[in-house]
Amino acid sequence: MLTISLMNGLVYGALLIIMSSGLALIYGLRRVVNFAHGALYMLGAYIGYTVAIHSSFWLALLVAPGVMFVVGILLDRYGFRLLQDREPLNVMLVTFGLLLILEDLVVFIWGKGNHSLFTPELLRFSIPLFGSDLPAYRLAVMLVGLGVALGLTLWLRYSRVGLFVRASSTDPLTTSMQGVNTDRLSAIIVGLGSALAGLAGVIAGPFLSLSPHMSSDVLIDSFVVVVIGGLGSLAGAFIAALLLGMMHAVGAVYLPEVSVLLPFMFMIAVLIWKPTGLLGSRT
Amino acid sequence: MKYTQSLLVALVAMFGGWLIVLVTPSASLLGVFTQAVIYAMFALGVGFLLKQNGLVSFGHALYFGGVGYAVGVVLTLDMMPAEWAIPAVLLAIGAAAFAVGLVIVRVPGIAFGMLTLAIGQMFYLLATRARGITGGSDGMGVPWPTTLYGFPEKALRQPETLFMITWVALVLVALLLHLLLKMRFGAVTEAIRDNEERARFIGIRTTVPRAAVYAISAVVSAIAGLLSNYNSAFASPESLHWSVSAITLLMVIVGGFQTLAGPIVGAIVYFLVSDILGDYATYSMAIFGAALIAVIVFSPHGITGAVTSFVKRRRKGAASLSAGATREREAT
Repeated sequence: MLTISLMNGLVYGALLIIMSSGLALIYGLRRVVNFAHGALYMLGAYIGYTVAIHSSFWLALLVAPGVMFVVGILLDRYGFRLLQDREPLNVMLVTFGLLLILEDLVVFIWGKGNHSLFTPELLRFSIPLFGSDLPAYRLAVMLVGLGVALGLTLWLRYSRVGLFVRASSTDPLTTSMQGVNTDRLSAIIVGLGSALAGLAGVIAGPFLSLSPHMSSDVLIDSFVVVVIGGLGSLAGAFIAALLLGMMHAVGAVYLPEVSVLLPFMFMIAVLIWKPTGLLGSRT
Repeated sequence: MKYTQSLLVALVAMFGGWLIVLVTPSASLLGVFTQAVIYAMFALGVGFLLKQNGLVSFGHALYFGGVGYAVGVVLTLDMMPAEWAIPAVLLAIGAAAFAVGLVIVRVPGIAFGMLTLAIGQMFYLLATRARGITGGSDGMGVPWPTTLYGFPEKALRQPETLFMITWVALVLVALLLHLLLKMRFGAVTEAIRDNEERARFIGIRTTVPRAAVYAISAVVSAIAGLLSNYNSAFASPESLHWSVSAITLLMVIVGGFQTLAGPIVGAIVYFLVSDILGDYATYSMAIFGAALIAVIVFSPHGITGAVTSFVKRRRKGAASLSAGATREREAT
């Protein structure tokens, strides 16, 4: 019993890692709290769904993040870049307007009903683990989450672009004076963040059902994650995502009455103790 | 002097409500107006927080919907008569919001929005899951008594009466907030909003006034929720959902948050437009989302801001025109 709920916690934590790392990246570089991130996740899931029923899940896994990458670049070019001198609050509200538009767009294209993505053939078996059966698909989700976390960390730490990203999120003006094209950098990061949201949407498809309301639950949980972890801090987001996933899964079994409240209580406690979040330094 | 002017405006506004009742042809349309006025009050609460604190709340549905549950529980358990329950619940909500405010206004601006979203959503989830007296996702009926403050329920629930009650309440609350902002409190909170550090340097304690603004905005939202609840006699978890806060925030921004009138205008425009859209209502949220983006990009001061600057420009234009004419006359 405990093994299964711990596993489920890791699965949901992995999903939150993929979602919130995109949010944290975009906040780090553009100082934008992106409400549209939930809508991008949902859009990714629905695009994945359409691709999957026409060809295969594996193609969906490529197409949906690819489309969202393009959407992200357009969002940065024609949204965030034009608004970069505005108050952060205004930009946040613009992304909120975008969320409303995209939610209705999904209803317009795919209807109000629920859909579900099927688990791909290849992963339709389970692995015996500590006396209980773990579906292989869930293990794969965990691995993807781990891969995203590792990949992003290494990329930011050791690549040249990663160096620029870290420099630019500390001080965009000085970085651009050193000859770094910060606008292109932002486009890449917002594109990447959106692609991650799309990826999260596709891999969530087989275990969370697709509906026009699917965005807000995950969006709110991802917000809780980035606030607990510290705005713009990737490492903080990873830790917080895993903690939150655990709270969801273990709480649902042992404290069903209050399990939905645990993440929020934890968030409030963290913010009282440290208003900038666990690993956040900036305001 | 300035107070008499405000009082006069308020009196005229109340009279205007009576005119609206006279000219409105059907009771159902008056019902829509009542809804609009209730949301105008709610928007006033949310807008007050944004105007005086510079903080965006995505969680004021907690106070709007929560007050219905609070009154419902008090009346169902028969803890006190409704006449006492109303002020007691509002006072309790104000006190609770002040305590919450002391903690959350310290959080940097952008995280504040997410924090209010999280707290609001927490209570929404609690209300949908909790068994027992609050009825979980079915909501709870609120047993309002047959007479309230000496008036029979039947008379109070006439559409005309209900509209006038909400209208007068809105005018009174707006007047009180207006007068409050004319006092020292208004200047202090504005100073803190514009630069908290500087305000602290000149010896102002900053957390308490900010929490007070938060508490006032919560109480105003709760009054709106109370009126809404008396209207429907039902507390539903849907009224706690974050989309309720979000729609209200949209009204505030579209109307313009820099003045107290802005949110009220925004709410009325929202209801008029939704009523006109009618058949296209399925995609109304997309339309309002687009409107929100358009307002922020092209007219950050909202409808009221656009109108005032238009009037000012007209006046200036007219003034310079007449000045030019005089000069010409003098030259000839």
